[in-house]
Amino acid sequence: MRKEDTVKLISAEGFEFVIDKRAAMVSQTIRNMLTSPGSFAETQLGEVRFPEISTTILEKICQYFYWSLQYASGKETEFHIEPELTLELMMAANYLHT
Amino acid sequence: MRALRSRVIPSSSAETPIKKSEQSTEIDTAAPASDGVEVVGTPSQSSVPAPDSGAPRSASVMPQPRRSLRLASAASRRGGGASAEGLPLPLKSCPWKGVGSGEGASPCEGEKVEAFTLGRRGGMSDRQNIGKRKLEDDASLIDSKGSKSLRSRKSVTKRAAHSDAENLVNAFDIEENQWIMLSKITDLDGGDTENREKGSCNDEVGSFRSRKILRREDKGKDKIGDNEVIGLGAESSGSKPGGIGDQPKYGAEEIGKAKIVCDNMLSDCSSVIDLDMEINNLRQKSESIGQEFLNVAVAQRKSHRVKAVGESSSSDIIRRNFRNIARRSASRFAHFNPDDEGGNNSQVKAERNASAAPRPADPEPEDWPGPFSTAMKIIRDRGTNVSTLQSNSFFNKWKSPIIWAPRRDRHTQAKRLIPSLLELCLNVLAANANAITSLDGVPDMPRHKLSQLLCDSRKMNKHFFDLLVGGSPTEIRVKDSSWLTEEELSESFKRCDTRNIMVLQLDQCGRCLPDYAISSISCSASCFPALSTISITGACRLTDDGLATLISSAPSLRSINISQCSLLTASSIVTLANKVGSLLRELYIDDCQSIDAMLILPALKRLENLQVLSVAGISSVSDDFVVEFVAQLGHNLRELVLSDCTNLTDASIKTIAEVCPGLLALNLVNLTKLTDSAVGYLANGCQALEKLILCRNTFSDEGIAAFLEASGELLQELSLNNVKKVSTDTAISLAKKSRKLQSLDLSWCRNMTDEAFGLIVDSCSCLKELKVFGCTQITDTFLNGHSNAEVKIVGLKMAPLLEHCRVLIPDNPLKY
Repeated sequence: MRKEDTVKLISAEGFEFVIDKRAAMVSQTIRNMLTSPGSFAETQLGEVRFPEISTTILEKICQYFYWSLQYASGKETEFHIEPELTLELMMAANYLHT
Repeated sequence: MRALRSRVIPSSSAETPIKKSEQSTEIDTAAPASDGVEVVGTPSQSSVPAPDSGAPRSASVMPQPRRSLRLASAASRRGGGASAEGLPLPLKSCPWKGVGSGEGASPCEGEKVEAFTLGRRGGMSDRQNIGKRKLEDDASLIDSKGSKSLRSRKSVTKRAAHSDAENLVNAFDIEENQWIMLSKITDLDGGDTENREKGSCNDEVGSFRSRKILRREDKGKDKIGDNEVIGLGAESSGSKPGGIGDQPKYGAEEIGKAKIVCDNMLSDCSSVIDLDMEINNLRQKSESIGQEFLNVAVAQRKSHRVKAVGESSSSDIIRRNFRNIARRSASRFAHFNPDDEGGNNSQVKAERNASAAPRPADPEPEDWPGPFSTAMKIIRDRGTNVSTLQSNSFFNKWKSPIIWAPRRDRHTQAKRLIPSLLELCLNVLAANANAITSLDGVPDMPRHKLSQLLCDSRKMNKHFFDLLVGGSPTEIRVKDSSWLTEEELSESFKRCDTRNIMVLQLDQCGRCLPDYAISSISCSASCFPALSTISITGACRLTDDGLATLISSAPSLRSINISQCSLLTASSIVTLANKVGSLLRELYIDDCQSIDAMLILPALKRLENLQVLSVAGISSVSDDFVVEFVAQLGHNLRELVLSDCTNLTDASIKTIAEVCPGLLALNLVNLTKLTDSAVGYLANGCQALEKLILCRNTFSDEGIAAFLEASGELLQELSLNNVKKVSTDTAISLAKKSRKLQSLDLSWCRNMTDEAFGLIVDSCSCLKELKVFGCTQITDTFLNGHSNAEVKIVGLKMAPLLEHCRVLIPDNPLKY
C-alpha cells in the first residue's frame, strides 16, 4: 500500500496500526479529523493518536473497519465480539462515532 | 332548466319516511306555472311540522313538485315582480323587492336566493320565488341572506338553530339519499321555531327542499344535499328563512354556487358557502356530509349566540358583496369543473364558517390574500388548468399529473444497512446484561440506549438498575419501571449519590411509587439539587401530597412529566406554580383524568417561562382554555400537544396562530372538528413550525398542500396519518417545499400513488423515515425504483415489526 492511502492509528500503549484510508473513514470522527481544513498534525502526518483507547480495543476497531467495507461490498458475515471487550469497545465506538 | 324537470322523480316510497310528503306530492302534480303558487302553498301546509321536532319531519318530498314549483315560481316571480328569473343568470341583480322586502333581507345582486328566503318568510309570492330559486342559479344560493358573509370571504357562521341542527343530523342519519336529506331539510325549516310565524312559508320551503332533493338525486350529487342541509340549518337559526338553503343547485352550475345562505337577514352570522366550494360540494361523499352536518349542527348552536350580533349589516354592503360574489362565480357556472376532487371544500367551508364563530364575535374574515389563500388559489388553478384540458370527466383524480420515473439500478440500496459497531456492542451487552459489573466511565448516551434495549426486551432487573443508579450518576432513564417494587426502589436509591442527578426518568412506575415511597427516593428536602427533568408517568398511586414532597426536593426543576397519573388534581399544578413557577419550562399532563383544564388555568398562567405544554387526552380542554392560556403564554410556547382534545375547533387554532409565532411543534391528533380554516391559520401564523403531527383530521388535499407551500419549508417531521384526502397536490407541494423533512408519515393515505411517493422520496433528500402503514396501493415500482438511499420505509409487508416505535433518546435534559 502506498503511503497516501494509509492512516496510522496509535493506541494508548503506543502500538501503531497502519490501515487503509477508506477503512478509517468508516469512523465519522476519524473522517472529520482527516478531512478538516487547516493544518492539523493528523492531516499532515496522516496519523491519529488515541491515548484513551487500549491496544486490544483498537485492534478490534480496525477489524471492524475492514468488516464494514466487506459488508458494504456485499459479503455479509457476522462480526463476533468477545463479551469481555464489549463494554470498552462500546465506549470507544461511541467516541469514534462508528 | 327545462332539463331539470325531466328528471326522474323518486318514487314516493322514498318519501314515506318523511311524513307529510304525501300532501305535497299531490300538490306537485298540480299544474305548474299558474298553479305554482297554490302548489307551493299546499305542501307547506301539509308539511308544517311541529316546531322543533327532533324527528325528521317528513319533508314533503315531491318528485314532481320541483318542476311545478319551478314553473310556478317563475310565473309567480314574474307576477310578483320579483326579479328572479331563475333560469339565467346568476348575475342578474334582482332586487327582490317583492319577495323579500318584508323580511328585510337585503337583496343580493342577482341572487335569487333572496327570493327564496323571502319566500320563507312568508308571502305566497315567496313560494314562487323559492321555486324559482331552486331551479336557477347557484348564485341565488349565495348568501342571499344578505349576510355580510358573502364573499368578502368572510366565513359566516351559520346561525344555528337548535332544532335545525337536530334535524340536520337526522337528515344525515338517513343516508345518502339526498332527497331524503332534503326532506329533512324541509323538516328543518318547518322545525325552525323562529320561523314559526312563517309557518306557511316553511312549508313551502320544505317542499322546495324536497324538490331539491329530488333534483339532487338526479344529478347524483351528494353535495347538494349537504348544502341544503347546511343552508337549512342556517336558516332556521335566523328568523329569516333560509330559503336559499333550499335551493339546491343541481347542475354543475348550481354546485358552483352552492352557497347556502343562511338567514343572514337577521344577523350577520349567516353562513355562506363559498362559491368555490360549490364545486366541491358535488363531490362530497355523504359521509363527509354527515360530518359536516354534525359540525354544522354544532356550529349552529354556537352561532345561535352570535346571531344577535349581526343585525347591523347594511343592505347595501350586502348587495355589493353579493354582486361581487356573483361576478366572481359567474365563470364557474359556465362549466362543470370536475376538478377539485378535494371536494371537501364546500363542506369544509361550511364547516369553517360554522365553526369559526364559536365565540360571540364576528367571524373573522379569512386573511385575504394571505399566504395561505394565495397558495390555495395557486393549487386550485393548477388543478383547474389540468382539468379544463381534459374531458369533462366527473371523477378526476389526477389533478395535476405527477411525473416521476423509477430508477433502474439499485446499487445504492445496500449502503445504509451496515450495522454500526455501537449497535453491535449494545446488542451483545444487552444479551449479557447480568454479567456487567460496572458502568463506571460509560457516558450517558450508551447507558440510555442500553437501558432502553433492556426495557424493550423485558430483561431489565434490579441488577442493572443498581448499575444505573450506583455511583454518582447524572442521568437515570428507565423507560419501563413496571417490574420495580417499592423495596427494590428504596434499596437502590439508598446507595445513590443524588447530588449530580439532572435527569430522572422512572416511567410506568405505578407499582413502585405510592405516596409513602417518595420518601425513599427523596430522603430530604432539596436532595436533588441539580434535578432539572423528572418523568414519572403512570404513577397511579401518587397523590397531590406525594407530588408536593417530590417537588420540594427538587428546587431547580424545569421539566416535569406526570402523564397518566390519575390521582393528581388541579392542586398539584398549583403546587408546581408555587414552588417552581418561573423555572418550569415543560409540563406534560397527558391523560390526567382528574385534572380539570379550566381549574388549572390560573396556575398555568403563572408558569411564565413555559415552553412545552402537553394536555393530550384531557377532555375538559376546550376552546376557552386554549385561547386564554395561549393569550397569556403564547409568545414563549415552542411545543403544544393537543391530541385527543376533541372539543377543540378552529377558533383555538386561530388564536394559536396569532399569538404563537415561535411555535415549533404542534400535535393535533384526532381533532376532527378542525377544518381547512385551521390549516389556513397555521400557514399564515406559525411559519416556524418544524414538527406537525396530524392524525384522523379532516383536512383536504388542497388545504394541506397550501399549508406546505406557505409554511412548509422548515418542517422536519410531518405526520399525515389517516388524513385521507391527501393526494397529488400534497405530494407536489412536499416535493417542492419540504427539503428539510426527515420523518414523514403517510399511513392510510390511499390516494397517494406510486408516482406521488416516488416524487416525495426523491425530492426530500433529508428524508430518513417514511411510514406507510395501510398503504397497500404501493407497489414495487416505487419500492425498488426510488433513488433515495437513506430513507427507511416502514410499514409494508416485510418491514421489521415495531421498528417505528423507536424512541429517540434526547441528548439534553430539556427539549428546547
